[in-house]
Order: sequence, then structure tokens, then C-alpha cells
Amino acid sequence: MLSDPAMSVVCDGGPLKAMQSSHSLTAQTTLSAQELSQEIKSFISGVDAVHGRKLSVREHARCAVRLLRSVPACREAVLEHLRGVYDEHVSAFLVNLETEGSSTSGGNSNLEDIIQEVHVVLSEFIRLNPRAWAPLVSTWAVDLLGQLSSKHAGRRVAPHSASLNELLQLWMSCAATRSLMEAYSQCLAAMLAWCPDACVDALLDTSVQHSPHFDWVVAHIGSAFPGTIISRVLACGLKDFCSHGAKDQGLLMMGMDKGNRIPKIGSVVGILGHLAAHHSESIRKELLRMFQESLSPSSPLSPTSSSTSWESSPQLRRSAVPFLLQLAAMSPNLFGAVSAELVEQLRPSILLQLQALLQGLPKEELENMLGLAVHLISQSPTGGARVLKFLADTATPASVIISGPTPSPHEGVREGCDRLLQMLLLHLHKLVFNRSDGAEVSPHTSASSQPQRVIPFLEELRSHVAQLCAETLRLERKRHLWLHQLLCLLAVYGGPSVATETLCQLLTQARNPEELALAWQLHTNLSSCMAGLIPAAVAHSVAQIHTHTLGPRQLKQLLLNLSIAIQSQDEDRKGGGAQSSMAVQVGSAVSGHLHDFCPLLLHSDAAVSHSTARLLSCSPLPRTSSPAHLLLLSRAAVTHFFMALRKRVEAGNVGRDGGQAGEAVNCSVLILSRFAAYSPLTLKAILQQLAEGALHKGNADLFGGQVADMSGAPVTNPSLSSDLGASLLDINCRFSTSVNFSGSVWSVFHAGVIGKGLKHRTASQHPDPAGVIWNIQTLMEVIVQCCTSSGLNGTPSPSDPDEPLPINAEAAKVIAVTLVESVCPDVANGELSWPPEEHARTTVERDIHIRRCFEAHPVLFPLLQVVAAGRPALCYCSAVLRGLMATLLAHWEAFREASSTDSPWHLQASCLLVSCMGEGQLLPPVLANVHEAFPHLNPFEVRLLLLAVWEYVRGNGPLPQKFVFSSEKGMFCRDFSRDGDVARYVAPIHSVLHKNIDRLGHLCWRFQL
Amino acid sequence: MGDIRQSLLPRDVLSAAKELLYHLDIYICNLVQSGRQPPQVDSKTLDLIEEFILHAPKDRNASARRMSALQELQLLEIMCSCFQEQSRDTVRQLMFSALFGLQGNAADESRMALLGKLVSMAVAMGRVPILECAATWLQRTHRVYCVRLAQVLVDDYCSMVPGSVPTLQNIHSASPRFCCQFITAVTTLYDLTTEELTPPIELLQMIVSWIQEDPRLVLITFLNTPLTGSQPINSLDVTPLGGLVRWCVKAPLAYKTDKKQTPTHERSENVPEVGPLFSTLHLSVLQVLMLLPNILNEKGLFGRMGLLQLDSLAALTSELSRLLDQADKHAHASAADAHAAPQLALDRLAQALQVAKANGALLCSREDMRAICSRLPHNNLLQLVLSGPVMYYNNIHTPPLAFSPHAAHSPIASHPALPTHAAHSPIASHPALPTHAAHSPIASHPALPTHPAHSPHTPLAALPASHAPYPAQPFITGMPFPFRPNH
Repeated sequence: MLSDPAMSVVCDGGPLKAMQSSHSLTAQTTLSAQELSQEIKSFISGVDAVHGRKLSVREHARCAVRLLRSVPACREAVLEHLRGVYDEHVSAFLVNLETEGSSTSGGNSNLEDIIQEVHVVLSEFIRLNPRAWAPLVSTWAVDLLGQLSSKHAGRRVAPHSASLNELLQLWMSCAATRSLMEAYSQCLAAMLAWCPDACVDALLDTSVQHSPHFDWVVAHIGSAFPGTIISRVLACGLKDFCSHGAKDQGLLMMGMDKGNRIPKIGSVVGILGHLAAHHSESIRKELLRMFQESLSPSSPLSPTSSSTSWESSPQLRRSAVPFLLQLAAMSPNLFGAVSAELVEQLRPSILLQLQALLQGLPKEELENMLGLAVHLISQSPTGGARVLKFLADTATPASVIISGPTPSPHEGVREGCDRLLQMLLLHLHKLVFNRSDGAEVSPHTSASSQPQRVIPFLEELRSHVAQLCAETLRLERKRHLWLHQLLCLLAVYGGPSVATETLCQLLTQARNPEELALAWQLHTNLSSCMAGLIPAAVAHSVAQIHTHTLGPRQLKQLLLNLSIAIQSQDEDRKGGGAQSSMAVQVGSAVSGHLHDFCPLLLHSDAAVSHSTARLLSCSPLPRTSSPAHLLLLSRAAVTHFFMALRKRVEAGNVGRDGGQAGEAVNCSVLILSRFAAYSPLTLKAILQQLAEGALHKGNADLFGGQVADMSGAPVTNPSLSSDLGASLLDINCRFSTSVNFSGSVWSVFHAGVIGKGLKHRTASQHPDPAGVIWNIQTLMEVIVQCCTSSGLNGTPSPSDPDEPLPINAEAAKVIAVTLVESVCPDVANGELSWPPEEHARTTVERDIHIRRCFEAHPVLFPLLQVVAAGRPALCYCSAVLRGLMATLLAHWEAFREASSTDSPWHLQASCLLVSCMGEGQLLPPVLANVHEAFPHLNPFEVRLLLLAVWEYVRGNGPLPQKFVFSSEKGMFCRDFSRDGDVARYVAPIHSVLHKNIDRLGHLCWRFQL
Repeated sequence: MGDIRQSLLPRDVLSAAKELLYHLDIYICNLVQSGRQPPQVDSKTLDLIEEFILHAPKDRNASARRMSALQELQLLEIMCSCFQEQSRDTVRQLMFSALFGLQGNAADESRMALLGKLVSMAVAMGRVPILECAATWLQRTHRVYCVRLAQVLVDDYCSMVPGSVPTLQNIHSASPRFCCQFITAVTTLYDLTTEELTPPIELLQMIVSWIQEDPRLVLITFLNTPLTGSQPINSLDVTPLGGLVRWCVKAPLAYKTDKKQTPTHERSENVPEVGPLFSTLHLSVLQVLMLLPNILNEKGLFGRMGLLQLDSLAALTSELSRLLDQADKHAHASAADAHAAPQLALDRLAQALQVAKANGALLCSREDMRAICSRLPHNNLLQLVLSGPVMYYNNIHTPPLAFSPHAAHSPIASHPALPTHAAHSPIASHPALPTHAAHSPIASHPALPTHPAHSPHTPLAALPASHAPYPAQPFITGMPFPFRPNH
């Protein structure tokens, strides 16, 4: 190419050459008529008319150019001839490229200068008389470009039509096409001033004809004249659209007809699509402007609109909106560009205008538009949430109660939106359910195996499930119906994961039964096509709990809703409702996750723990569960029980919220009893923990207990202990004295320091006695319930329902063992049988400890009573009983007051102890009744009687094997007749009776053998 | 002739057309030799022409074959040679009218297109026979189509191809008849009403040069045509005189507004002013008018046939008054300049009226003239022309245009447009002496062709010394008229 000097000259000095050629013009026009006729003959025949030899391509072309300059009538023929020349050059150019320039083709460069000449002539003509030449040349150039590009599209060197940039590069490096392009650009620049439509029309027509090979031209022109091309292309498309009428829209709407039914709109889309890469902003502006202009009331003197523009024609303005819809339907790019901002534009005033505009359209056209809009929305990949919000906002009827931030739109607009929304839902419904047509066997397998059609609208909404749920739950008039429907569709579309999430959201966000009902409706709708939804939802919730993504309020709500759901089961059973299966499902799902919920019982938020309690209290228990989980559960439940008690106490102190605290306790009781009934393991665990918990120093005050100073260490005087700078010697001394030798005979215990009197008890505030009693009652209730539940060993329930169930022996034994463990610190001398009374001296320290425990924990006696009721469990408490008895004997021996009533605690303890032993059948009834006399005796007599009791027990050891199960009573019983004669033990009693017959006469019958 | 259709059908487009032309030639020769009067080409032949040469769609479902531009050019070239080689005028004419005579059907469009190209090509190649035939065609055809043909030529030579004006200029020498018809068509086409209908400057220059060179050119058709009075309805005028007068009169106003609307029009930079051109043209027109008495007398038509029609003049005056109204509305700023153009237009109108009337080109009474000029604003010269010479004998101080009883009584009949009187008309006293024009009424128009460089406001300052004996004063309202008819 560069080898040709002429070419380089032309390239370097374009304007210069043009000047020269215009000078040579006059020379050429001096051709005589004769010469001209020769020239024409040569041109036609391709033979030199004078010399009779054949013209070369180059000479022929020169001849043509001369004719172009001198014989106007020939111009069309000349231009037609030049098509061939250009074509030849392109061919040569491509061949040259294909052979990589190995064969030096001289013809190429030869033609190149001819093309340059032609270009110079044409551009001069256009410059001198644009009005005449620009339309002509532009049409010719565009047509030729189209022809060339599609003709040579299949060449080896020609890049694929999709790679626009390479194509552009190739063609712009070819002199012929570049020259044509330049000529066209020149024409366009000239014509833009007075008839831009014509040239853009031609461009569009050619584009349609030669698409996609022609796209590079459009792209190049478009990027050279972006503003004009965009608006012009739009205007052309609009005009064409308008003239075609809306009759074709119906077919196009559903995307069935992608053909050339509306030819120009296709190329409009194509062109704008190309330009979108670099000029998307201006395209968007232009589209929006078109929309706005079409709506703004027609003002013929509007400064922006020229006389030729489409704005001046009412018909065109009216079709602008359908046109834009059509465009958007055909090009996702364009739609994406506009949709985001369009929604912002739709203010009430604009909507009114839109309505006014659309009212003029015929009905079927409106239907088409509606369908198109629905289609578009469903295909919109972004901004779906905003569109939805807009539609719902606008379509929701104005209400006195709910007044939104925007003033209520016009009723017609609202109805329109309402309609649109309903159609959208219908459309989505169709899409969603047609989509999974072939895969109804199993939704799980279909989701993975079958590639499904994507619905962008729903795809985008997937991430907005939470908001949608929240909106739905607001229960605003019609809105929640729409949104609920949408949620259903979304769930079906998104498959199990979305469905689960949706359900979870609804469960978490619903605040009352009406709202919760939405969740069940959703489930009912989905259950037909989706299995295992509820277990998945529950599992999802559990996962959320574990990840702490839910706040306390949400957590509470979720738990409450679940429990409501489970409870509805019971109601449904009565009514035989359709939801029962769902409630059962929820129940079973929750039951599988009980151990996941149980940590929430101890949640710091009272509401959460309470609602967890509610859930656990109503949830069915799993069929099988691992011991670890069960232990976890029972531990949590017991802890919660004590917490609930404490809450109740606190609430009672403050005097508020008592109801809830009380309810919490009730729930807790329920949980415990249910758990206890569940399995022996849980029963044991619960009872053990209850007993331990009741005596635990954290909980002791609930039951009137004091934190007893069991160690015997000196209580630091507050006044002394202020001296914190204690010497090491002091501490060492104290250590040496505080070494615990308990258990040994030599153990030392302090009652105080000599000279300072008795050791001070830590002053403890006594809680409200009524509260203490209540708490003890509650505890007893729980324990009794646990113990009577038939979980342990299937004791048949008694025939008389009014009669309380017997305490389960095994359960009682658990309590007994626990009591022993906590009260009796060492196991030495822990055998069940009792030694002679004198031997008690060896266990003085232990006995004192036991007595102190009983002093500190009033709750121990009720516990003992329970144990006693569960015969023969009391036998296992033998050590404790013995210890207590020993200290009581010692006390009464040393007590010097006249009446036993002067030492009330000991009196009470003695009474309770004996009655317990009687209840537990460690004593025969005659002996067991002695406690009735205690208050009327003096301390010595009390001791005598207690001693008699001791003797009996020593003689007839409290051994479980002495008890026999009586099936008629449903419990174990001891047959005292097998033991030795009771009479000798009764003698002291009788003598005491005799001595005090004046006061004890009424009791004599109680001691008859 | 109709039987050759079957043989034409299988041929390709071009050879079929050639074949048909060949047969048409033979057929018309035979027709002429048979001596039937009038020679008439039958309708079957016309149909064949439409089918195979003009490619008019015969019926809707059969799509007509189309020629490529190259084939068309070949066909045109063949036609050119065909007409060139045909020696007999009659045959040529018959053939031309068979090919291009308008039939009032759908084929007329392609007929016009082909004719335009043919004539344009003939102009380029100097094919006189075709131009002669086209001249005849222009005489016989409705003026709408004539105008279209002229438009094609003007577009081709004056706007499309720069520098090809000389080619068109040659038609003057090649075929004066065609040239004359062309001028008539062009003046009909460009009536100066809009910008599009303003003649291109090249065209104007060309026409001015033609007429200046040979004033009789405009009368050629008139001279060569036997005036049978059987002019086709709505055909072009016999002479372009009416159109030329319209041009000259309206030009000052039309070009004025044109300039005003587009002050930065690029033409105003390097293209000569149109004013002098129209002055020259106006002079030429007046000169042509003054040639008329002899010619009319030769034909014995003096006083019996007016080449200017009163109704077309009436149209002109009403347009003029409209233009003047517009000019009044628009002209507030540059008062001096604004008044010069209307006065110039009115002056030219008055001169044309006077000269035409005096030379028998306009046959009407002075009353008629007053009627058509009644709405025009005041102009001294026009006043003089309308009132006639008598008025000044009575009372030169009488306000002009005050249609006094004197005017009504003015002996119009005593001023027949006799040839002897022509010598007494203001211009006639200095025929074709532009250097002395200062003394003629035309002198009030400063931009004479000989003084193109002078601005309109300094008309006399630079006059040659030969003018010294005469009082160098401008024409003032109310001044005695320097040259009175010497009755």
C-alpha cells in the first residue's frame, strides 16, 4: 500500500488534492460534446472508443469519474459502475490479507488511488451542494457498504460478525470501505441540519437488510454521532412503529415472533444495543426523555421540540409509551438501562398524565400493553423489588387508617396498577408452574437435574424475601394478599431453600395468630408440591439460633409462634381441622431439635427463656434421643425452674408482672414433669438435680434456707476483717486451726472462740415466709409430679382417679440418695442399720453437720416426706436420719427448760423426723405416732421416746429388703409382724403416758398395740 | 407491431428495448410513407413502449423488470444515436412523441424520468435533433411537466455537477428553439415565491448572458410557430417574456428578503450580486419588447395578439403588493435600504408596463392597468405610466394617481401603440445606449450593467465627463419630466 507514491501523496494532502481537482475541473469540462459522446461510448462498452482497445479497470474507473464530473445524466450509471470497482478493491484487499502479502498484487494499490479520486470527487460534490448530493451519496454508500460487508462476510480473514471491534478494524483498514464510511459521515453531517430522518431511515433499512454484517457501520456511525443517532434512531423507530400500528404487537409480545414483522424496531434495538456499550448514559437519558416528552401536555411552542420532531404529533406521542415498551421487550440491555430510573419517575402527577394518555388507546391495544408490561416486569433482572413496591403502593386502596407517605393516587391509576399487579401475578404463576411441568416426580431431583427457565424477576426477589414477608405481615388490605401470593410463587420458584426461608421469616416475624395464619396458608399452598418443608424450616430456624442471627425479640417471636403452632394441634384435634397434620409436623420437627432449643431456656432475656419454656412445655417429646441430649435438656429445665422461681419471687417483691412469672413457673413445672415421665434416665436426672438444686446455696434462699457455715471455720468479724493487711503468720495459724479433720474421731469443731462467746451466725435476711412456703410447695409439686409419673416402671394407674398416685419408689430412692449425698458429707458409717445409741458419739461432727443442714434448709423435711412416701426409699436416708436423731437426742438430753415447746425447732424437727420414719415404715404405727405427744412433754421425756424409737430401729434395721410390693395398693409395704415384738419398745411410751396421763389421755388410743 | 411482443419477452431487458426501438423506427417510417394524415401511432405500440422501454408495471401482481442504471445509460445512448441518425424530421418527431408523449397513465412517471435523462444527456453530448424534439415536446405538453423537465436540467447542470454550466450554456448555440422553451419553462418554474423557487445564480447568469447576447432568442418559438391559435391548454407561454418580467420586478424584493433571512449565506461572499444581473435582464427584456412591433407587423399581428397577458400581470401586481406589505412590516431598521428595493421593483413594473403597452405586447386599456395596479404603493414612474401623457399637459401639479376626471378623459384611443410612437417613448430616445441612460427613466435605477460597481446611493457621482452638459440631478418627485413626448 505504501509502495505507491501517489497514494501517500493523496493521504498526506487531502485538502490540497481537493483543490487541485477543483482546478482540474474546469479543464475537464472543456470536453467537447463529441469527446463526451466518445467518453460515454467508452464507458458503456468498456473499450476505448478512439483506439479500440479494452480499458483496464483503472482506466474504466477514471472514465467513469470523468463522466461523473461532466455528464450529470450518467451519475447513476457511474455510481453503479463504481460499486463494482469498490467491490473489486475489497476483494483484492482481502485476498492480499489472506495471502499475507506474499503475492504482491499490484491491482490493489492501483485501485486504491482510483478510490481516492472518487472519494475526492464525491466529497467535493457533497461539500459544494450537500442538498443535492448528500441524499444520493449517502444512500449509495450505505447500500454499497451493506452489500460489501455481507458479501465478504464469509471470507477467511473476515472476523465473525459478533466481534464488532475486529470487524471495524478490518473494514476501516480497507481503503474502499473507509472511503465509503467517510463519505457517508460527510453526508450525514450535512444532512443532519435539514433532513436527518431520511439518512437514518436509509441506515436502518440497510441495517435490517444486511444484519448482522452491517452492524459495524452502524456502530461506527453511531459512535461518531451519538446524540443525533440515538435520538434519530428512536424517532425513526417510533414513526415506523406508529405507522405499523399496534396490530403486530400481540405476537411480538410473548417473544414468539422475532422475525421482521416490524423491521425497523429490530434494527433500532440492534443499533442502540451497540451504542449501549459506550453511550448507555445518553441512551438512557434519551429514552427517559422520550417518555417524559410523550407525557407532558402538548405544547406546540415547546422550545425543545423542533417542527420535525415527533413530539409535535399527537399520534406519535400516544404511541411513544407502547413503543418504549416494545423496545424494552426486545432488548434486555435497553430495558435494564431504563427500568431503574423509570420507576423513580412515576410520580402521581406523571401517572395521571400517563393515564390520560392511555385512555385514548383502544381496548385491545391496552391489553397488549398490559401484557407487555407484565412480561417485562417478569423478565426484569434488577429493580424488581422497587417495581413491586411501587405497584403495591399505588395499587393499595387509599385508606383512612393507613395513610402512606404519598398522597393517594387517582382512583383510575390505582385500578390500573391493581390490574397490572394481578396480571403480573397470574403471569408469574403460569411461568412458575409451567416451568416445572416435567419434573413433578420429585421436586428435589428436578431442581438439580433439569435446567429450569430462569425468571429474573423472581430471581432478584429471592434476596428480598425478608422484606416481602415483613410487608406481607403488615396485613394491609389487599396488599398482603398479593404479596402472599407472590411469596408462594417465589417459594415454588426458588425451591425448598427459598420456601424454607420464607416460612422461617414468616414464623419469625408474625406477631399474632392472624399473621401466623399467613405462614400456614403458605405452607398449605406449598405442601402439595414440596415435601418436608416444615422440618426444613425448623432446622433453618435452629441454625439461625445457633448462629445468633436473630435478636431476642425475633427469637422470642419465633419460639412463641412455634409453640402456638404446636398448641393449635390440640384445638384442631377437637375440631378435626385440616391444619392438624401441619401442627403435628411442626411438633415432630421441633421435638427433633429440643436439645437445640433448651439452651434458650437459660437465655438472659426473660421473654426468650419464657417462650422457650412455652415451646418445650407443649412440644411433644422425641421418640428416641441420645442420653447426652436428655441430660442437657433436664439440666436446662431444672435450672430454668429455679430461675423461674426466682423471677416469681422478684416479681412478687416488686409487685408487677407476677402473672408472667407465675406462668413461667407453671411452664417449667410442666416441662419437668413431662421430661420426668419421658424416661427413667430423665426422671433420675431431674430429681437428682432438683434435689441438689434446692439445697444449692444459690437457690437455698428460695426455700427459706440460709447459707450455712458448714466448715466450722471462724466467721471473720466484720470489724476485724477490715484489717486486710493480715500477717502471713496469722493466716498460717488460722490455716492450721481450720484444717478439717472431719470424719475422724479427733476432729475439732468450733462453736466459737473461748472468751468471745458463741460463734456468730451470719446474719441473713429472712425472705418472705409466704413466698418461701409457696416456693417449697411448688418444688414439692414438681417433685411429686415427677415421682408419680408412670415413666419409671409402668405402675398401673389406680382405679380411682381422685386418689393421688403413689410416689414411685425408684424416684424416691433417687431423691433419697441425693439427699444423703448432699447432707451427709462423709460416707463413713454410712451403713443402713443403726448402731447402739452410744455409738453416736463417734459421729458427732457429722451429725452436727447434718443437723445444721436441716436447720439451714427447711426444705429438707418436705423432701424427706416425699422420700418417705416412696417406700422403701427412706431406708437409704438412714444415715441422715440417724445423724439427725443423734443430735436431737443430745439436744433433749442437755436441754434444761421445762417444756419441749421451749425449743421449737428441735421439737418440730423431732416431730417431723418421727413422722417421716413412720410414713416410710421404718417404724410401726405405734412408734410413729409418738411425735404427737412431743409438744406436751418435757425434754427428758422427749428424749426417752426418741430413744425408744432409736432402739426399735436398731433392733429392726431399716432395710429395703423388708418391704414387699403390694399389688393391690400399688406400692411397697412392710410387714411389721415379721419383725420382733414391738411391745418392749412401747414400754417407755406407756410409762410416759402414764406419767402425764392428765395431759395425754386423749392420745392413749394412739399407742394401743 | 403488436405481434413482436412474444419475441421480445424472452430477451433481456436491454436487448428487448433495443429491438423495440428498431421496430418502432421501421414502423414509423412505414407510417409516414403511407401518407396517412395525421400519422398516428396505435395504442398497441404505445403499450409495447411502456412495457419494454419504460418498464411500467403492467398489472399489480407482475413485478416489472427493472433496468440497472448501466443498462439504462446504454439505452439512452442508443436512443441518442437513433435520433441522431434518423434524417427525417417527421419520423423523429413521431418517434419522440410516441416515446415521450404523455399518456396520462401510470407510465408517465418513468416516461418523465427517462426523458429527463435523455435530454440531459443530449445536452451534454450536443445532440441537436433530440433537443429540437424536446423543444417541440415542451410546446405541446402541460406546463407542469415542462417545468419538471426544466427542473431536471437545472438540477443536473446548475447544482449537481459543479462546473457543468458551460455545457448547458451550449444549448443556446445548439438549439435556440430548445433554449427558448427552456427559458420559458425555467421562468415558469422559478416564480420567486420561496427560496426553493429562486433560480440558482448560475442559471440566472446563463439566461442573462443568452438574452443579452441575442435578445431575439426569447422570441424564437414565437417566430417559428405558426400561430394557429390551437395552443394546447395549459402549455407554456409562447415566449418567456411574462416570466422574465416577473423575475425582474420581483427580484429586488425576493432577493432582499432572502438576504435578510440568511445574512451569512455563503453565496453572498464569492458570488456576484444578483442585482446587476437582473438590471441587465430587465434591460434586455425591454429591448426585446421593443423589437416586437416589427415582428408583429411582419406577421400582421400587431394589436391583435399580446405576448403579455393582462391576467398574468394582474397576478404579478397582486403578488408584488403582498411582497411590499411584507417588506413594510419587516423594514423598520434600515429605512433607506428598505425603500430602495420596493421603489426599484415598482420602477421596473412601470417600465415594463409602459414599454409593453407601447410596443403592442400588452393589449389593454390604461383603465385596466390602473385597476391591476390600484393596490400598489406610490411610485412616481408608475404614476406617470398609469396616468398617461395627457395629464401632464393639463396640470403637472395634480397629485399623481388621483384618478381625476382628467385621467378618465384622457384620450387613450389617441395613443394607439403605433410603431411611430415607439420612438417617442422615453427609452426609445436612447435605444441601447446605456452610457446615456442617466437621462432616461431607467436612469433612476442606478445599478446599470455598465456600472455594476456603483452602489445604489451614488448614482451619478462617478459618471463620465460626457454627462456634463446635462444637469446632474436625481429624479425628484414633482420635478418636470425632462423628456416629454413631443406631441
